[in-house]
Amino acid sequence: MPEIQNDDPIVAKSYSGPLLIASLLLVLSLFWALWQEFVGLRPWRGYQREFASVYSKFLGKELTKQKAAADAIMSSAEYQKLAKAAKDAADAAAPQVKKIDEETAYVNRRIAALSPTFITARGEVTALIYQVEIAGSESSKKSRQADVDKAKKGPFNVELPTAEGKTEKKSFNYDELIAEFDSLKNHKAELTLKRADVRKAADEAAKAQAAYIQEKLDGLSVEQVQSLQTAVRQMSVALRQINVDKAGLVDRCQSCHVGMDPKLVPPTLQLTKASLGLEKSKDAPFTSHPQPELLKLHDPEKFGCSPCHGGNGRATNSVVKGHGRHEFWLWPLYYKENTEAGCQTCHAADMFTYHAPVLNKGRELFRQKGCIGCHRYEGFDNEGEQLLSARQKVRQLEQQKKDAELEIPRLNKAGDQAPDNKAAQDYYAKADNLRVETSVMDAQIEQLMVRARSLLREEKKVGPSLKETRMKLRKEWIYYWLENTHTFRPDTKMPQFRFKPREPRAISAFIWQMAVPGPALPKQAPGNSAKGKELFESRGCLACHSIGEGNKKMGGTFAANLSRVGEKVNYDYLVRWIMNPRQRTRPYDPIARKDLGPEDYKQYGKDFVFDLDHSRSPDGKHELQVQQQTVMPNLRLTIAEARDIASYLAAQKHADAVYQPAEFMDDPKLVEQGRALVKNYGCAGCHEIATLEEEGRIGTELTTEGSKPIERLDFSLLTEHAKRGVLPDGKPNVRDGEKNAEWYDHKGFFERKLTNTAIFDQGRVVTQLKMPQPNVTPEDVTALTTFLLGSVDPQVPKDYLYKPADQRRDIQEGWWLVTKYNCMGCHQIAVGQPSDLQGLPIYQGENKFKLPPPLLSEGARVDPNWLARFLENPAMSKTDVNRNGVRNYLAVRMPTFSFSDGEIRKIVKFFQAIASQAQPYLPPRLEPLTPQERTMARDLFTHPAAPCLKCHATGQPAHDANASAPNFLLAPERLQPAWTARWLTDPSRISPGTAMPSGLFKQEGGRWVFSGPLPPSLQGYSKDHADLLVRYMFQITPEEQRMLLGRTPAGGKSGAK
Amino acid sequence: MWGDWHQLWQIVSVPDNVPIVALLFLVPFYTWYGFREAFKHDRLIAQLEADPAMAKTHHRKPYPFKTGWERELHVWPYLMRIEFLAAVILTVLLMVWSITLNAPLEEPANPNLTMNPSKAPWYFLGLQEMLVYFDPWIAGVVMPTLIIVGLMAIPYVDANPLGNGYYTYKQRKFSIWAFLIGFLALWCVMIVIGTFIRGPGWMWFWPTQTWDHNRLDFAVNRNLHEIFGIENRWLAMGFGASVVGLFFIVAGYLMHRLCMVTEFSRKIYQRMTLLQIITLHTLLILMLSLPAKMAARLLFRIKYVLVTPWFNI
Repeated sequence: MPEIQNDDPIVAKSYSGPLLIASLLLVLSLFWALWQEFVGLRPWRGYQREFASVYSKFLGKELTKQKAAADAIMSSAEYQKLAKAAKDAADAAAPQVKKIDEETAYVNRRIAALSPTFITARGEVTALIYQVEIAGSESSKKSRQADVDKAKKGPFNVELPTAEGKTEKKSFNYDELIAEFDSLKNHKAELTLKRADVRKAADEAAKAQAAYIQEKLDGLSVEQVQSLQTAVRQMSVALRQINVDKAGLVDRCQSCHVGMDPKLVPPTLQLTKASLGLEKSKDAPFTSHPQPELLKLHDPEKFGCSPCHGGNGRATNSVVKGHGRHEFWLWPLYYKENTEAGCQTCHAADMFTYHAPVLNKGRELFRQKGCIGCHRYEGFDNEGEQLLSARQKVRQLEQQKKDAELEIPRLNKAGDQAPDNKAAQDYYAKADNLRVETSVMDAQIEQLMVRARSLLREEKKVGPSLKETRMKLRKEWIYYWLENTHTFRPDTKMPQFRFKPREPRAISAFIWQMAVPGPALPKQAPGNSAKGKELFESRGCLACHSIGEGNKKMGGTFAANLSRVGEKVNYDYLVRWIMNPRQRTRPYDPIARKDLGPEDYKQYGKDFVFDLDHSRSPDGKHELQVQQQTVMPNLRLTIAEARDIASYLAAQKHADAVYQPAEFMDDPKLVEQGRALVKNYGCAGCHEIATLEEEGRIGTELTTEGSKPIERLDFSLLTEHAKRGVLPDGKPNVRDGEKNAEWYDHKGFFERKLTNTAIFDQGRVVTQLKMPQPNVTPEDVTALTTFLLGSVDPQVPKDYLYKPADQRRDIQEGWWLVTKYNCMGCHQIAVGQPSDLQGLPIYQGENKFKLPPPLLSEGARVDPNWLARFLENPAMSKTDVNRNGVRNYLAVRMPTFSFSDGEIRKIVKFFQAIASQAQPYLPPRLEPLTPQERTMARDLFTHPAAPCLKCHATGQPAHDANASAPNFLLAPERLQPAWTARWLTDPSRISPGTAMPSGLFKQEGGRWVFSGPLPPSLQGYSKDHADLLVRYMFQITPEEQRMLLGRTPAGGKSGAK
Repeated sequence: MWGDWHQLWQIVSVPDNVPIVALLFLVPFYTWYGFREAFKHDRLIAQLEADPAMAKTHHRKPYPFKTGWERELHVWPYLMRIEFLAAVILTVLLMVWSITLNAPLEEPANPNLTMNPSKAPWYFLGLQEMLVYFDPWIAGVVMPTLIIVGLMAIPYVDANPLGNGYYTYKQRKFSIWAFLIGFLALWCVMIVIGTFIRGPGWMWFWPTQTWDHNRLDFAVNRNLHEIFGIENRWLAMGFGASVVGLFFIVAGYLMHRLCMVTEFSRKIYQRMTLLQIITLHTLLILMLSLPAKMAARLLFRIKYVLVTPWFNI
């Protein structure tokens, strides 16, 4: 290299400075990368360390506490006694145990000495035997066998220890060696058994001692706490994950939420922020699951966390990512108030899900508030769809049948012309089979027709029929109502529409003019309003309806508040409605699509008679809709009672209400405009409206609304507001202390839309949204939002979805009906779910006995066949209908719902299923009573300490005036004997607070014995007294009862003892 | 909504757009830097051309003359050490980048939902922007192919022997301008437009204008023959073809004039074969057709000039 002058700018310039700096930066960035790798991207390490320290502290405190508690228990006399017994037993067994232990040690020494030789010998011999087995030729087999024999001969020399502590030399051949080894082993096993036998008493005493502490100690035992402490000490800081391959599930939530690990925190231990001393900490994900019972139902090893809660189970590098609160994660963690949305993912077929009150409320609101009128939701109110599909199937089957009937003669003919006998027989057989198949099809068609008929009966509307408007309503009121829906009736389920000016006029004119013209209603005489009030409050109207405004409001929320009903309704119509709300003025013909009048019936020479028994069209071809599509049942009142109630209701009005005259109602020019508007606003979704009976739902389907891409939710001009966390009014959106919290998500959309349905029209010149404003509270909005958030296209495998095939399915289906007809208005059906009537002031205290019966164990109580008959006709009589079939003494009336057969079947199965009853029910055979037993039973029945007929009804009016329990004559066909026996012995367990006295019988030597002074006839009777009484009850006759009535002291008013 | 700085920050701060933000500064800087070096050398060339004696001993660096400086230096260590330093700095840069910004993964693709705006990776945004002006066959197939073919053809059509191994503007004016127009003015600018300007619906949003998904634009683009009221399909096709042909003729003539501007360029031009000349002119005219079409579309609302059943121009 030539010498270069050092002032050449390229040659002379030194780069060592920049290079040094760059290299240092490189090293620094390397360290940064390492830090990021071990700490920055793995925040769960820090959480786990923090958890370990916090939890150890907690366990330390727990240990002190439990130790103190255990010490207290141990110092009790009873424990000392147990401890002494245990020690005595151990001492007694000690000498024998010692001897056995010494012997065992000796045997063990001998086995140890023998083992090496034994193992070597066995290994060699078995390997040689294998060679014999695989040897190819006889000769080689023989030579190998010789090797085996040689190996077996040994000799095997072993030095065995003796009992004296010396050794003896022994020599064995192979078989002897095996035998010696086996005998030692057997001897050892014998000794072990013997030892257990000797120690049995001592062990049991020790167990009793330990069990005593466990029983008395509340919470974990000291040992359990200590083992947890060890577990925490040995806990390694590592990723914790649940991996369910089948579901494509990888949930690493427990990496931070360490407290959810059942191995570290047993379910009996509740870790809360308070118990861990972390109340003030904002970032401490250490609590255990707040509802461990849910984890028992949904094993986390199968379900993971994210399928229920949402969030990104795989993400571990930040809270935001793990919780999926992130633009690109489609299933973010549900906020606390919407947690139950996760249930809906799999429990979409439920109407009622345990542990999910908010979700249940959401579902109920969705149905009750009439959302379902515009928005289809899979499974909700699908009778209309089912009806269509049934009709379609019938058409298909009829076509198939026709084809088959054409095919049969063809086959027969082919058989006649067949070349040989066998082919001919084949043809004839085919033809015969087809004939049989057509008969099967006939059965199918018949069933489908029955179903279609039922469905016509099951199909209900959310709102009242508008076809009867002319007869029912005051003309001027309709217009007023449309404009002031929520002012007139603040808790109505009808939403307030945002009409443009003059639209309500056209709509009300259309409705008025489309209503059926008659036949005119009979004039009704006025009734007694005071009596009407009493009837209204006592017959059970308040289970669904409420009355009174503001603070004075009382009654259920299922149906309308009737406070101002007098302002709108026509008295004559009201009487008819109360008599039978299902009665129509004209039947609807779904095929001809019109309401039939007398003139249509006259055409066929028929009278204008239509009801559930006369539901065929006048031409006899198809079924008519002969009922109002309301769920309101028939209370079987007399006409006088109906008039009384109607008079009372007609008086419910504001005295100062003024209605403007509405002459435009008769303007025929408005009809077409009104029809277009009614169609546009989707009124026919909730109301039956002439000419619009077949209108579809106008809203978007919501079955999977929760998983709709966010881009498809139209935030309109508020999109940027939502993305930047600005409220429509320009103020920042605050959530959990975060200012400008983004609400561009499903929750934000649903909540704001439900609170103000017009919100996304804000700023629009041409408004597009027609969804009316529902009548909802903020809690309702949360419930509905929860329901909608959970309405997703499930990401979990199909078999995770809760679609049971067993009795649980009956429960699922039953809940639909029970909520559809509001059975819970009167009855308690699920534990911890009070009926609406229970809360009313008139049923408090002593009056509790006037409530309808709770149905918690109805399925076990009654014969299902009887229940079906009862549901069809609760009066249990065709003629004497103005009464309750069973509890005639109750003022509140079990109404006639006119259920379809399918509904009755489902309800009966529902009650059977929730009481875990086998289906079908076979009544057990009861042993007949001997004459002696009959005498005994009579004595018990009329025993002065518990005279049954004092309270139970007999069917004799004089006696029944004071009755407060059902007639025994109903028992044989109504009740199940096993339940009756349980009821007799402890009624308060089945129905807390019942008037039926508890403690009539006492348990004595495995049987129930009457607890009062025994009548002489029963002395020495060795069988079950309760059972005797049940058998007697199930065989009682009216004559017998009358006879007994004479022996019973007069009925008192006290009811319960 | 104007003056929406939040919107601008959102676009600029997306990890996807980091290279383009960098490009916004780096490309002008290096262009400037290249020109600075080129002018330095141009001055040196002028100096040495004026003083042949000095040229014999000059060290050929844009520094004042000094004796004893080497005219040629070895790659090792003088080049390598600089490259090594650059490699270290770049590694640091990449490390820091990869630590601070994660891969911009988005939600799983949904075949039922196209995202809006739906943008190609940044290096393809120029092509995507071209789709606004040409039909997909031209913008998506023909043009990219020609770009690649053109880049491959450069060594074969470049008849200028000067400018190897040093920066110079004077000796390579034509090539530098071709590069500046083709790469900077067309390619880079279109990437920048595609990134910062095109919002939802591929509509034109000026910086700090809110990317409003509800925005509606009213624009009618017509084909050229419709403006002239030609309705017959064949006539229209003939008309379109003539216009395109006219463009080629005019542009070819202008290109020819451009090549003849200086004595130096005439000299280079004379060194070229006919094939080289035709190739060069075709490629440059095609390159020119992009801004021409852009102008026609943006200024005159012309959709296509030539409409045929197979492709449109």
